[in-house]
Amino acid sequence: MAGRGDDEHDPILDEAKSSERDMAPSALPGTSIHRSGSRPQLDLSKAEIQGNFEERDPTILLPNQSDDISHLALDIGGSLIKLLYFSRHEDYYSNDGDKRKKTIKERLGLSNGNLRSYPVLGGRLHFVKFETHKINECLDFIHSKQLHRRDPYPWSSKTLPLGTGVIKVTGGGAYKFADLFKERLGVSIEKEDEMHCLVSGANFLLKAIRHEAYTHMEAEKEFIQIDPNELYPYLLVNVGSGVSIIKVDGEGKFERVSGTNVGGGTYWGLGRLLTKCKSFDELLELSQKGDNSTIDMLVGDIYGGMDYSKIGLSASTIASSFGKAISENKELEDYRPEDISLSLLRMISYNIGQISYLNALRFGLKRIFFGGFFIRGHAYTMDTISFAVHFWSKGEMQAMFLRHEGFLGAMGAFMSYEKHGLDDLMSHQLVERFPMGAPYTGGNIHGPPLGDLNEKISWMEKFVRRGTEITAPVPMTPSKTTGLGGFDVPSSRGSALRSDASALNVGVLHLVPTLEVFPLLADPKMYEPNTIDLSDQGEREYWLKVLSEHLPDLVDTAVASEGGTEDAKRRGDAFARAFSAHLARLMEEPAAYGKLGLANLLELREECLREFQFVDAYRSIKLRENEASLAVLPDLLEELDSMSEEARLLTLIEGVLAANIFDWGSRACVDLYHKGTIIEIYRMSRNKMQRPWRVDDFDAFKERMLGSGDKQPHRHKRALLFVDNSGADVILGMLPLAREFLRRGSEVVLVANSLPALNDVTAMELPDIVAGAAKHCDILRRAAEMGGLLVDAMVNPGDDGSKNDSTSAPLMVVENGCGSPCIDLRQVSSELAAAAKDADLVVLEGMGRALHTNFNAQFKCEALKLAMVKNQRLAEKLINGNIYDSVCRYEPPTLSQI
Amino acid sequence: MDPKDYCFSTQISHLALDIGGTLIKLVYFSPNGDNSQDGSIVVGNGCSVVKGRLCFAKFETRKIDDCLDFIRFNILQHSGVQHPNGTTRDKFPVKEKLGIVFDKEDEMHSLVSGVNFLLKTVPREAFTYLDGQKEFVQIDHNDLYPYLLVNIGSGVSMIKVDGDGKYERISGTSLGGGTFLGLGKLLTKCKSFDELLELSHQGNNRVIDMLVGDIYGGTDYSKIGLSSTAIASSFGKAISDGKELEDYQPEDVARSLLRMISNNIGQIAYLNALRFGLKRIFFGGFFIRGLEYTMDTISVAVHFWSRGEAKAMFLRHEGFLGALGAFTSYKDQSHSNDLKPHHQAVQRAVLKCSGDDSFRHTLVAANINDGEAIECSINLV
Repeated sequence: MAGRGDDEHDPILDEAKSSERDMAPSALPGTSIHRSGSRPQLDLSKAEIQGNFEERDPTILLPNQSDDISHLALDIGGSLIKLLYFSRHEDYYSNDGDKRKKTIKERLGLSNGNLRSYPVLGGRLHFVKFETHKINECLDFIHSKQLHRRDPYPWSSKTLPLGTGVIKVTGGGAYKFADLFKERLGVSIEKEDEMHCLVSGANFLLKAIRHEAYTHMEAEKEFIQIDPNELYPYLLVNVGSGVSIIKVDGEGKFERVSGTNVGGGTYWGLGRLLTKCKSFDELLELSQKGDNSTIDMLVGDIYGGMDYSKIGLSASTIASSFGKAISENKELEDYRPEDISLSLLRMISYNIGQISYLNALRFGLKRIFFGGFFIRGHAYTMDTISFAVHFWSKGEMQAMFLRHEGFLGAMGAFMSYEKHGLDDLMSHQLVERFPMGAPYTGGNIHGPPLGDLNEKISWMEKFVRRGTEITAPVPMTPSKTTGLGGFDVPSSRGSALRSDASALNVGVLHLVPTLEVFPLLADPKMYEPNTIDLSDQGEREYWLKVLSEHLPDLVDTAVASEGGTEDAKRRGDAFARAFSAHLARLMEEPAAYGKLGLANLLELREECLREFQFVDAYRSIKLRENEASLAVLPDLLEELDSMSEEARLLTLIEGVLAANIFDWGSRACVDLYHKGTIIEIYRMSRNKMQRPWRVDDFDAFKERMLGSGDKQPHRHKRALLFVDNSGADVILGMLPLAREFLRRGSEVVLVANSLPALNDVTAMELPDIVAGAAKHCDILRRAAEMGGLLVDAMVNPGDDGSKNDSTSAPLMVVENGCGSPCIDLRQVSSELAAAAKDADLVVLEGMGRALHTNFNAQFKCEALKLAMVKNQRLAEKLINGNIYDSVCRYEPPTLSQI
Repeated sequence: MDPKDYCFSTQISHLALDIGGTLIKLVYFSPNGDNSQDGSIVVGNGCSVVKGRLCFAKFETRKIDDCLDFIRFNILQHSGVQHPNGTTRDKFPVKEKLGIVFDKEDEMHSLVSGVNFLLKTVPREAFTYLDGQKEFVQIDHNDLYPYLLVNIGSGVSMIKVDGDGKYERISGTSLGGGTFLGLGKLLTKCKSFDELLELSHQGNNRVIDMLVGDIYGGTDYSKIGLSSTAIASSFGKAISDGKELEDYQPEDVARSLLRMISNNIGQIAYLNALRFGLKRIFFGGFFIRGLEYTMDTISVAVHFWSRGEAKAMFLRHEGFLGALGAFTSYKDQSHSNDLKPHHQAVQRAVLKCSGDDSFRHTLVAANINDGEAIECSINLV
């Protein structure tokens, strides 16, 4: 091992530096990876869908139907049009249902017969906003995407004659624009009850989207995970022109219990009359710089600057909104519009908070969700409402806001389609993605629809030409809290709270019905994938900076992977800009994309690469590494076989740790590596593994494997090995470990990424690797054959079937359902979930899966977490150690709490 | 201090003030001139009873000099009151001008004492007001508590009263009389509260408020029990019209404002009454001022939100609650004297004043909007 300290490599994950930028691209055999930014949509072959739909309803997707099936719903309000449309992309693995899969399915007991049913089609929900007075833009958008031409009931087999299409619309505009829709698009509008839509939209979002709700106190957002089983009852306060207060008791069970006529319309109406502002946003913006004490009568004004603490009022409490305008001989013109706007905003927000609190109290509700156009993610408004609720309830109740708050009505209108199937969706089947435009739109009005890659690139380039490029983030001063609370004057205004910055982005919602919660998680409800909390500002800035610094190298690698063509360069530049913009946005508003973890950040990067069609930036590197490692594998296996059982086990674990660090990113090591003495480097690295490691449970693991004294341990039934990198890591580290389990008669399932991420090995690449290894090893070969990995390989006639000894166990490969260097075990492929059912050991390997995520995860079965820490900060934080320290954490099953 | 030190002779007067942000309220006792001799009647237990009237006067706070002159010329020189009680701010030069010292009373305490005094002692003090009908409510003294007292001054205090001296401020809102006048002045250039109220009488809020019917195309949203004429959003129409402030009639603006604030107060009051299971809500404070329109809007709001189950009640002497309370709290400095009103005994109201032989009371000057005087008698030990 070389390069320690002086040459700190990629601190996030072990990945190749771009030593290969001149290499020509070489096609990876068998890659039929779809070019989409989506999570792989597994098992969505037509036959399955048809089969499953037969069970519920004869709703069949015609096999020859066009590949994009969409439908849409709208909420046309007074100022904004909210549009929501669904698109189904037929871009799942075209023919991945190959023999390997078939064998795996048989092996795992999966067949079409007992496959879980998929009531929902995979696809995407898109959220788009337009200004109502620009309704033509909206109509153009619908027309350009041909959304209106789709059967609004895509899951029904009947086709509607052209011109009789129906779109579900809610909001006041449903009445106003009905004729326009008929005229321009030839579709009829079906009006949906506003309140009903609002409630069903909120119900769906709160149940299906993780961390949809957040609190907002003193300018700090905190995302709240709400247990769908404990959602009801709650109070929904919709602040539009007026305010509706709705008690929600369940699906379709709600009642408007109250309301107030002092709402957003009052703020904007009075504000317009008093300040001459031209728009609602302008008025809000003004309030940022306001000082309401010039116009409100404070308690201190009445009681001569003393607190009236006897009744719990401080001197800065507003006794009377606009009360100072009484006694002073000032005209309207003598007041600053900023002060007026702030005074109005506080008066109305506070009043809404108070009345909501009183109603929640009345019905014994603890949770109040606020939504509606008046809120629009405005920090000041949310703070004031939260303060009022907190103050009056003495902290007993929480004011909460929704990330998708603008879309509640549209979502509800969408839900009002028959057989939309969304009711059955669970949060683990939804993945939210933030496309490249997200940082620029800032959660407000979306940009023009960008159809193809070229448009996307041009769009990014245009931004650069206009000089609006968002530069890579630099650490900023900590954002100050507003210190405001309801009636108290905020200590800082304007600078700390940017109205547009606080608007949260809404991404594209990917519906992936095949995703499941990993069944071996001890407590899925408590599970948090991310080890490092990025809500800590220091951590967040560090990791954003690291990602930013690493970006140029990544671009080089990606461009080189496609032969360094002009087209690749152009895409590479666009990718760099888009990803930098994401980082800058997150630096400015950490909550912009919801709850942020390192896993999300790393996934965002992969998504961004895919968005610009860099399908597999590291493929040539991976191929070369694999070849080199396979070449030395026989020597290693021979060496291992010569050892005693106990020595072998230690060497194997050392090998996993050594191979995990191996040489990635270390210049010195790369040089050595070119000399082709990979086995020597591996051995040298392994020999440096001095026990005890920083986290060292090896003895416990050894006892479990080998027993102690006379006690003979039972063998593992099935081990799930979550593999990490290509090359030495998997071939010299994990494969030998897998072989050890196999030779003990345990089944082994190698779990690998569905889509490429960095140089991680994918499930699609593994069979070839295993086949290569099996050439030199009988144990691997037999197991691979049993696991269906070698169906295409030459079969030795003499071997097959004759040696059916009792200890032989299969080696299988399953994909994990993700395309990220980390893994969120709440969302794994159904294949992995099925494989996990019989497993009694989980082995997580590598920084991404064992440290950044899942370091603290607890499992129902035994777990072994193996990784080398290749980042000083993480080492200090996580294990109180140093860079290159090793982690070998063995945990017995976590007993269920019941 | 021994109360006997006070010299009670022929004429007795005393005075209490409530100096608010907008108005000064004055309460003083004026003995009847036709009382025999010294005006006192010795009753069985050795108390002497003085008959007279409680008189009420108001001044605008910014015209405090008028008030001080009034006190100087009409009361003090006759009565020699040394320590008027009052709730006040420090900034008024009362001491310099009058040569007297204020005993500052807690505002809320005064308020509650005043209401308790009125509700227990004055018949036909409370009334409801709905659809232009004023209806007096007889309140059983034994069934008075608990009740909700909503005092609408510049801001609004909501006080739950459980008994004599037992009360708690449970809520409040900053949308009060000050908001009405403050916003009203900015929006209409009105000079005074009365002018603004006068305007609101003539206005039509539908010009500027967004009604339910405006949203749902003239139809009721009956599903949720909203009629088409219900206000969906106060000032909501000012959003979309291309109109400037100058394009609206000040009358309409004033009306809309009044309805917004009255409605809001009525709603919050109802919700608070509901919360504590209080049957009665009394509204007082200068915002009400016995004005039919404000009383009507508040009554409608309470009626609407309670679905007819709760009624807003008002007090004839609503503007003087604080002053009355301060008046009755004279007891705190003395011991066991009693102020007895006409019909029943007043509990715990105590005089602290000195007599003046040359007292000759002149009734209120013309510029004063006085309340009704209360015939009463005062018990002296």
